[in-house]
Amino acid sequence: MSDRLLHTLTRRRGRLLLLAAVLCLPPFYLDAFWLRIGLFSMAAAIGAVGLALLSGTAGQLSLGHAFFLAVGAYGYSWFAGDPGPGLPPALAVLLAVLLAGAAGGLFSPVAARVKGIYLGIATLALVFLGHHVLLTADSVTGGFNGRSVPPLSLGGFTFAESDPELTVIGVPFGAEERLWYLGLALFAFTWFTARGLLRSRPGRALAALRDSETAAAVMGVDVARHRSAAFVVSSMYAGLAGVLLALAFRRVVPDYFSLVLSVDYLAMIVIGGLGSVAGATAGAVFVTALPLLMTRYADQLPLVAAPGSTEGAVGPTEAARYLYGAAIVLVLLYAPDGLHGLARRAGDRVRRLRSRPPADPTDRPSSPQPTAAARPKEHTP
Amino acid sequence: MNDRTTTAPPVLDVRDVTVRFAGLTALDGVSFTVTPGSVHALIGPNGAGKSTCFNVLSGLCRPAEGTVTLGETELTRLAPHRIAALGVARTFQNIVTTHGTVADNLMLGRHALTRAGFAASALRLPNARREQREHRDRAREIAELTGLGALFDSPVALLSYGDRKRVELARALCLEPRVLLLDEPVAGMNASERARTARVVGELRAELGLSIVLVEHDMGLVMRLADDVTVLDFGRRIAHGTPDEVRQDPEVLRAYLGTDATEEDAA
Repeated sequence: MSDRLLHTLTRRRGRLLLLAAVLCLPPFYLDAFWLRIGLFSMAAAIGAVGLALLSGTAGQLSLGHAFFLAVGAYGYSWFAGDPGPGLPPALAVLLAVLLAGAAGGLFSPVAARVKGIYLGIATLALVFLGHHVLLTADSVTGGFNGRSVPPLSLGGFTFAESDPELTVIGVPFGAEERLWYLGLALFAFTWFTARGLLRSRPGRALAALRDSETAAAVMGVDVARHRSAAFVVSSMYAGLAGVLLALAFRRVVPDYFSLVLSVDYLAMIVIGGLGSVAGATAGAVFVTALPLLMTRYADQLPLVAAPGSTEGAVGPTEAARYLYGAAIVLVLLYAPDGLHGLARRAGDRVRRLRSRPPADPTDRPSSPQPTAAARPKEHTP
Repeated sequence: MNDRTTTAPPVLDVRDVTVRFAGLTALDGVSFTVTPGSVHALIGPNGAGKSTCFNVLSGLCRPAEGTVTLGETELTRLAPHRIAALGVARTFQNIVTTHGTVADNLMLGRHALTRAGFAASALRLPNARREQREHRDRAREIAELTGLGALFDSPVALLSYGDRKRVELARALCLEPRVLLLDEPVAGMNASERARTARVVGELRAELGLSIVLVEHDMGLVMRLADDVTVLDFGRRIAHGTPDEVRQDPEVLRAYLGTDATEEDAA
């Protein structure tokens, strides 16, 4: 038994290493366009994992995710830039994440008391407030035109076109190539920490809050504290995502951080499958990459107009919206547990087919597939 | 890890508790005392206030008047999670389990006994991991005790009704409680499942010396397990005593069999 466990563990570790190695390759083979898609996807994945913790695991809806992304992005640009204290960029990253967490903490009197969909409405205010501040606080945010983002440098190595010039095995390493690895590292950190959280005491407490507040409270979970902690943690992931986005964009503007962005993040976690790190990642890649790909290949797609053309047809960005709108409807109707659930079911089926050879009809129904419908009912005292 | 069960549990004292929901008086000056290490049954027809009484004991419902004390501590002013931390665990009438496996549910029961916070868990610090391992071992022991050992890693949603009921019991036990509140632990179970749960409850009392408060409609079970019985009807205490005394009480017979003008649904 323990031998088998050890075996699966090493195999899982091996697979993870292989995956990491594969993810390190793209800068050598793909051009800047694809690397940028990857970079935006990684940033979105970090933010989506944060939202998955809050909405998927703790059952708290948030429409304010764009606000915390903005806090991270602008926080970094201000801490590291001019106007601003011009701190070392690495320190600025840390401070920006903490600032996003603090902003989440300031909101925690609301986040701790208001639950579910009502919190969604309350957080709506944050987006409008944030957008207004970004537009009007010119001296800090640069107003409508935004501000440029100073590149990140770590110990003399800058994540930009040059300084130092770098060529690895014949491939010149520009900003995209370098940022790819930064994004990968930050995403790995997010993956590691979020899964750690979900599989331990705080994660179980949050899931219990979602399934039944009464049961959680009676089992010793401090409801208000865990609700606000979930909100703060989710804000910090959003802040980190904001920093990476800012570095990828090299310029931050207020209009990017609108309600639409918050809704995009919700779409990511719904499509991916609520409450799972892998699902949030898959959803983030889907929602981020789709419009970019459609813009690029607009001329080859039917019914989609090339960007900038004034023909009556649908532009690529809108077409992408329709597509992922349809994806959400399909997911909600046919796979409420999202891409993650689909993948898991497919994996189970493959495993069952493989391990079937000798017919064994007395097999207990042990495939762990709780459907949403089978979820135990909420108790209301 | 469970040193607090080695000492006798404190007295649970309910004094003149009154609960009103708008115009309805759900509990009307109810008093009873649970002596340490005893099984105290709360019985009465549907709507008598038994579950409301449990909600007061576990802090989900604040009484308008009256006090509940556990030893020296007054419970009526405390939030539910603080009462849980004092070693009061409960199960629910309609099963309330959370998503995930039996192990996840039982580990939720260890919440009040463990410390690992958000930062330590996210960074998977050695302390947090060791704590999780130790408590998981104990949760497995409790699963074995309640007959859930083989189902430890199964998702709760796939279990039978009786097994889910037992998950609730095991989860409450994971709190290492000193007082255990069981709300209809055998409702809807078949005969063998009932017998098994009755045996587990009996063993618990014998081995761990817990105080148990039991709400149950199965009179056979109540009469077999209980040391004291308190009978409620329409929020008032109408009788109190040993099972034999209560069985012969005219008030109880009236409430259950409905010789009065109010045709009460005999439970």
